[in-house]
Amino acid sequence: MDLKEVDVELIVNGRRHKLRVGTNLSLLQVLRDRLGLTGTKEGCAAGDCGTCTVIMDGRAVLSCLVMAFQADGHAITTVEGLAAGKKLHPLQESFLEHGAVQCGYCTPGMLMSAKALLDADPAPDRETIKTAMSGNLCRCTGYFKIIDAVEGAARKIGPASTARGAAAGAATGSSKAGEGR
Amino acid sequence: MSETRSEARPETRSVGRSVSRVDALEKVLGRARYPADFSKPGMCHAKVVWTGEPHARITGLDTSAAAALPGVVAVLTSRDVPRNEFGLIESDQQVLAADVVRWTGEAVAVVIAQTEELAEQARDLVRVTYEPLPLVLDPIRAMAPDAPLIHAGQASNVMARWKVRHGDVEAALAEADLVIEAEYHVPLVEHAYLQPEAGLGYIDEEGRVTVVVAGQWPHDDVRQIANALALPPERVREIVPYIGGAFGGREDISLQIMVALAVFRTQVPVKMVWTREESMRCHGKRHPFTMRYRWGAKGGRLTAAKVELIADAGAYSSSSKAVVPGAVSVATGPYEIPNVSIDACVVHTNNPPTMAMRGFGTAQPPVAYEQHIDKFARALGEDPVSFRLRHLWDEGSIQPTGSPVPPGVGVKETLRRAASAAGWRQDGDRWVRPDLPPLPDGRRRGLGLATAFKNIGYSFGFHDRSTARVTVALDERGEPERAELFIAAAEVGMGVHTVLAQVAAEGLGLAVERVKVHGVDTTRTPNAGSSSASRHTFISGNAVMEACRLAMAQRAPGKRQVEAEYTFDSQRVRPTTDFDPETGACNPHITYGYVTQAAEVAVDPVTGAVEVLRMVAAQDVGKAINPLMIEGQVGGGLHMGLGYAIMEEFKLREDGRVRTRNFSEYLVPTTLDMPADLTCINVEVPDPAGPYGAKGLGEHVMIPTAPAVLNAIRDAVGVDVGELPAGPERVWRAMEAARASAASGKGVAR
Ligand code: FES
Ligand code: FES
Repeated sequence: MDLKEVDVELIVNGRRHKLRVGTNLSLLQVLRDRLGLTGTKEGCAAGDCGTCTVIMDGRAVLSCLVMAFQADGHAITTVEGLAAGKKLHPLQESFLEHGAVQCGYCTPGMLMSAKALLDADPAPDRETIKTAMSGNLCRCTGYFKIIDAVEGAARKIGPASTARGAAAGAATGSSKAGEGR
Repeated sequence: MSETRSEARPETRSVGRSVSRVDALEKVLGRARYPADFSKPGMCHAKVVWTGEPHARITGLDTSAAAALPGVVAVLTSRDVPRNEFGLIESDQQVLAADVVRWTGEAVAVVIAQTEELAEQARDLVRVTYEPLPLVLDPIRAMAPDAPLIHAGQASNVMARWKVRHGDVEAALAEADLVIEAEYHVPLVEHAYLQPEAGLGYIDEEGRVTVVVAGQWPHDDVRQIANALALPPERVREIVPYIGGAFGGREDISLQIMVALAVFRTQVPVKMVWTREESMRCHGKRHPFTMRYRWGAKGGRLTAAKVELIADAGAYSSSSKAVVPGAVSVATGPYEIPNVSIDACVVHTNNPPTMAMRGFGTAQPPVAYEQHIDKFARALGEDPVSFRLRHLWDEGSIQPTGSPVPPGVGVKETLRRAASAAGWRQDGDRWVRPDLPPLPDGRRRGLGLATAFKNIGYSFGFHDRSTARVTVALDERGEPERAELFIAAAEVGMGVHTVLAQVAAEGLGLAVERVKVHGVDTTRTPNAGSSSASRHTFISGNAVMEACRLAMAQRAPGKRQVEAEYTFDSQRVRPTTDFDPETGACNPHITYGYVTQAAEVAVDPVTGAVEVLRMVAAQDVGKAINPLMIEGQVGGGLHMGLGYAIMEEFKLREDGRVRTRNFSEYLVPTTLDMPADLTCINVEVPDPAGPYGAKGLGEHVMIPTAPAVLNAIRDAVGVDVGELPAGPERVWRAMEAARASAASGKGVAR
């Protein structure tokens, strides 16, 4: 089979990788098989389950639906890039505290969807969280603790982000909604 | 009786605390490795040639083009399998089909190549020709004397029958002043764990055929692999890393033997990863049941229960001969009914084999008996809580199989607590349901509840054994410093490693962080049985507790390490027995957990769409070893139960081929489908034989969900939906039928 190959440069978790990849390969396949970043999971390879979610240029994308060549030159964050060295990301801490992890197969995708959400909206209300995470399936948790954990992380991040960002009013209003449970 | 009924017990330090899962950190870091995450240098890739035919004779198999493709290492067919058989109870399945295929998910050949792409290409070059055989998809039709046989040589497609006779049901029905009869149907459903089947195989440093796979029963996998390869079991090794959910769906062999065979034949490392479509099509499902209920009451009390259960086994037997007895044993619920007659059978068809799935036969009957109970309460003008409380089991109640229920009966307490949390109030002996104000959007609001129970551990005389080994490092004073636990209990996500670490920590007086639970490796960790039957807390918990006690007893001055191994065997503690063939009399199960759930729904009267607004779950777990993990299990149970109630169905086309191929077609609840609110209540009525009184709960928490939702739908719009899933169309049709019959003056069907 003569598949076409192209040269790409991927910036993954801050590191540059120059690779020659087949034009038929998804970003997910390249992350897992070529870069050894197996934290990102394949659950369906069809855009239906969210286990392959990574962040590309600040947005959550399904890496099974992004072709590797389409990611050329883009900045990608995977679950392996979430913690800052030994310091867990507030979402990771919150997932631990709330018991949001069971089998863990959906967890990387959940974390990345949640990170993209909180990066864009540091204090989402529960409905916003549910909508943002509705493309990520989980068969173990019923989502309750995952949503709690995202709310909890928003509270952890909240004040700092509010100081930095512009959405001060929204942040205060929504963390109250978060505490409603 | 006190509110929680937790008897005063000695203080515990680790047990009863919501400690963080021992595996959670690796999982949030993305470091936890699942089977597809393993690789070996020089490994090859394997792909399966699936039949796709639901019932056919193989007339030709040509692998030459595939084998000739450069880069292809081997193309294996049935001739390459030393003993071409496997199966959990009976070895009636073929590793690679030789002659006849009986369902679409049978494997015909395995192609091994240097790259995954080459393996795919070569797979598509394998030519198989078939002669179609007559198809039987409906289990009722399969029972007809002239139905084509799925397994030639068998007398009929009926695999097995069971019956229970308790009292005189016909006389009681004749004397009853109220008889209600109905038929219920539950469909084929899919486990839908998020991690598709995958495995890496290699020959280890000691020459053993080794597979790294997600298996729920590691030592039984080894037994089946060794049998198929005609190797002694000690030449086979299974390593179980993290598993992305199982729910019973990994109790049978999926790719374990194919991976082992590929390694055995090629002697190179081989990796096989299934796509979601392969996973959905090629592993077993939950048994569909048709359930006929004819019950009678006299003077307001249930006096007779006649039940007929017909279950679809699909093409092969898997664990049907254990699942359906489970259904028989719970068919009339946790209720005292003096006259009971139960008949059950399980039938072969060309559908996917049905197997273990969360509940193991106990999830289907509550859909029938809990709707039936509500019908009696309604007909008698009594509140469903009051009616249930008058019939539910107490300590010492007699089951339809003639034996007393095992000690630790918290069922009434689960109902009282769930009903109170859902808004019921108690007025003397009577329970009064809350008034629900109408919804502003015009949808109808309804409230329903359901009570159910399930066994913990293996049943019907089967020895339920688990072996644990613990090594304890001691300080100079002889006090435990750290411990290591060796036990082949597959962590499928339910938290067994955390629970066992807590039990060991408690027994050794250590902090949980000081107990290391080793991953499953059948050559290093002793056999703990399967991760199923909600059994590890009770069975393996007991094994760990006793191993710790024995280790502690070996301490002596100067000793810096002690070690002990212990095998817990349920038959020595709580013996069970198999059905008497005529009366069904037996002592079916080791112990029970009980659950009540209440659901509040909104039903759109125009579209029939159901939304579950809020749920209450109360479960008698004996002792809550880790309350936070229980809440997690309850959430997941509701997810699966709610999917069962209103969304999920694995569909086949009329020609027997699969219609629901991926998550776009097999719908499971998303965040937007789950209730906004969940109240979770642990009731702790200890079983004296359980570790610290604990029973188990993994399966229990999904069992009452579907009937609670159905009862809430009935409450909202006044119609019964006897067939799952209660999707919009089915609810709408039931409402239309009720409207039509009301218009024609016949009154609404019950
Ligand atoms: S693997 Fe990408 S959405 Fe399922
Ligand atoms: S934790 Fe298992 S799929 Fe989400």
